[in-house]
Amino acid sequence: MSTATLAGRAISGSSASSGSLAGLGTAAGFILRRNWLRLIIWAAVLALMIPVVYDSQQRAFPTQAARDAYSQIANTPAVAAMTGLPYAAGSLGGILVIKIWMTLAVALGFASIFLVTRNGRADEEAGRTELLRSAALGRHAYSVANYLVVGALSVVSGLLISLLCLSLGLPANGSWVMGASIAGTGLAFLAVSTICGQLATTSRGANSLGVAVLALFYFVRAGADLQASDTSPSALSWFSPIGWAQNMRSFGENNWLPGLALLGLTVAGGALALRLETRRDLGAGILPERRGPATATRFLASPVGLVLRMQRGSLIGWFLGALVAGLFFGGVAKAMTAVLDPNNQFAKSFMGTGHSMLDGIMGIFVLFNGLLAGAFGIQALAAARGEEESGRLELQLAGSLSRFRWLGAHLVVAAVGSAAMLLLGGYLTGVSSQGAATGGAMAAASLAYWPAVLLMLGVLLFCQGFLPRPSTAITWAVYGLSLMAAMFGGLFSLSEVAIKATPFGAVPRVPAEDFAVLPLVVLSGLALALAAAGIWRFRTRDLMPE
Amino acid sequence: MSSNTPAISVTDLHKHFGSTAALAGLDLNVEAGEVAGFLGPNGSGKSTTIRILLGLLRADSGSVKMLGGDPWDDAVALHRRIAYVPGEVALWPNLTGGQAIGILSKLRGGVDPAKRDELLERFDLDPTKKARSYSKGNRQKVALVAALASDAELLLLDEPTSGLDPLMEQVFTACIREVKDQGRSVLLSSHIFAEVEKLCDTVTIIRDGVTVEAGHLDALRHLHRTTVSAVLDGDASALAGVPGINDLVLEGSKAIFTVGSEDLAGVLRALAGYAPRSLVSAPPSLEDLFLRHYGGLPVPAAEAKTGSHAQADTAGAR
Repeated sequence: MSTATLAGRAISGSSASSGSLAGLGTAAGFILRRNWLRLIIWAAVLALMIPVVYDSQQRAFPTQAARDAYSQIANTPAVAAMTGLPYAAGSLGGILVIKIWMTLAVALGFASIFLVTRNGRADEEAGRTELLRSAALGRHAYSVANYLVVGALSVVSGLLISLLCLSLGLPANGSWVMGASIAGTGLAFLAVSTICGQLATTSRGANSLGVAVLALFYFVRAGADLQASDTSPSALSWFSPIGWAQNMRSFGENNWLPGLALLGLTVAGGALALRLETRRDLGAGILPERRGPATATRFLASPVGLVLRMQRGSLIGWFLGALVAGLFFGGVAKAMTAVLDPNNQFAKSFMGTGHSMLDGIMGIFVLFNGLLAGAFGIQALAAARGEEESGRLELQLAGSLSRFRWLGAHLVVAAVGSAAMLLLGGYLTGVSSQGAATGGAMAAASLAYWPAVLLMLGVLLFCQGFLPRPSTAITWAVYGLSLMAAMFGGLFSLSEVAIKATPFGAVPRVPAEDFAVLPLVVLSGLALALAAAGIWRFRTRDLMPE
Repeated sequence: MSSNTPAISVTDLHKHFGSTAALAGLDLNVEAGEVAGFLGPNGSGKSTTIRILLGLLRADSGSVKMLGGDPWDDAVALHRRIAYVPGEVALWPNLTGGQAIGILSKLRGGVDPAKRDELLERFDLDPTKKARSYSKGNRQKVALVAALASDAELLLLDEPTSGLDPLMEQVFTACIREVKDQGRSVLLSSHIFAEVEKLCDTVTIIRDGVTVEAGHLDALRHLHRTTVSAVLDGDASALAGVPGINDLVLEGSKAIFTVGSEDLAGVLRALAGYAPRSLVSAPPSLEDLFLRHYGGLPVPAAEAKTGSHAQADTAGAR
């Protein structure tokens, strides 16, 4: 009865849009109920970074004189490439922007991508959307509700950031622009992910596509900031939405216009996604389904062959990423050395200990290669849990395949693949550096990160044995914290000893630092112990599908 | 060896998930060369039992033997000799059905291509389509073709026809008969009584993780009551006094009642005295056996969806 009246109301709605949006409120409530904890954690963690970083920077630069001194040396290519142009380094607000703006903006972008996919394509893939759409729910109601809820995360996070800035006594105009520019970045990647969710047929595909677009825009703006004259951005920055948000210049010029452009981009992206949704069938992507071979080759039917085939697309993506990143790092290294003042003490301390500036820069790129390979390794090995979750592992183990061989196939692909990625990325960084370092030396330096990558795999194996359900999430959290410590530990005033106690911080950053065997032995030993415990547990526990 | 080693021998099996007991003393026996039905409502522990037999879950206590081996310790070796079809088949969405059949067959130790092609034909399955585009029934066909194309000694089938249409169910029935003719063993978990009655030699009925009824179908029938429906010349209420008649339902001159097999001869003699115009007797159906253990009401034969014999008789009476 009530369903009939609801459906009747939906059909008799005065305009087409009220029909396609029937049940919007119910859908939004449903999505909120499924995501409230995630949303709160994202918003709270992002916003709380503001007082934490503000406090550390206030202690690092307590007087105006200290800040003025800092502003003289703040503009290094490394800072420009990683976190943007330090246009207001002489004020606490400007220093806050340098230290935390990019992290928050990019994190909010990631959050938007993952959340839109989780509620959109992932649900559609699992068949849950079909059930909802069979009720009196308009064609676009669920998608629009998803976009609105995830968009609200950006808005609320931005608002919290602004309010916290105000409460810290920072200038009002700059505080509002700071929150707005970060929220704007989140909204821009909301737009990106809505379209990705329409194009790809799987949630993994949608997430990969979204992250690839984010990485591309990050590198575009990094290139733009390296091209900048002093602290005025180059025209290239307008080719990336992150660049638009940066050009709002909070605590600097406080320009609201790019914020409006970001809003426009969000609305346009969402509208395009809804158009695409109208044109396709539920469950389908935009690309048509192709036929395939009627039999499996011997290779495909082997455990390693199957893993490689299932990860083919993502392997190609990661190796292309490593290739582009390697070439980019090498190319940028030369530009950096040209611009850098060799007497710049701050940059020197940031880059590394003792050696030349160029070696310091190359050391940072080696770290990037290591982090990239680590992310690849985790993603590749996490696919094992996906097989168990989906119930496909059950079918495989019902054949004469031992658990050890099955898990071993996944481990081999992740471990060997990450080693190959390290060698490739390092080699290309060296080769394209035009004499800054040789390909072989950089490949070897990058390979030193393999034990750190293996430790990540060890953590994941351990969790897959003992805590299978949250295993992937826990490992990504460990990875995220290690990345923060290794990349930004110095900026957050973490002590050298503390940084050296983290997986990626422990590795000697050759050529910026001297090579040492001990940390690599310790990392490998830890990795081995965790992996052995995890594999033992996996072989003795019940299978746990979702 | 397979002639005297039981295919499956489970005694007093227990399995807990946290605080809930999934199996609480289950017994299950399947002799070599036998097709065994495995019945129970949703959540009664059928799939848990099969997963323990596959070494995917570990038994808490009790004895479990499959083809003479231990399902957990000898999993890999045993799995070369068995084939499994789950009720809910999960496949790799971006591989074709044919590729999935190849992978599953290889894991079991190879496949006879001619047999596979014949089965693809019989089940009318297109192996070049991506698994993503398959319906539930087609995904089930993939697992069925992979299992039936093998020369496994024992087939573990967990509601294998739940997604198949009636035509494909007939193909499945024919395939299982062939498997039986070859002397192989089958454990068939199912909800479809007609299917089990058609195919199975023995039946095990479980409830809340405990076996409540087990044995040869004929023997089980013998232990239970036959349903009789009779139309008399006069008022049927006179039957109420006849000894041996139970569960009497009267509709004017029509009477429906049940009779224990030991009283059947006496009741029929008594009935003859009331000049019946028509008489239909149906042996206890599997559904009756099943419902008896689950608190269901006895189903009058005329309305019961029972075996083909009973249906034909009822049609004749009308």
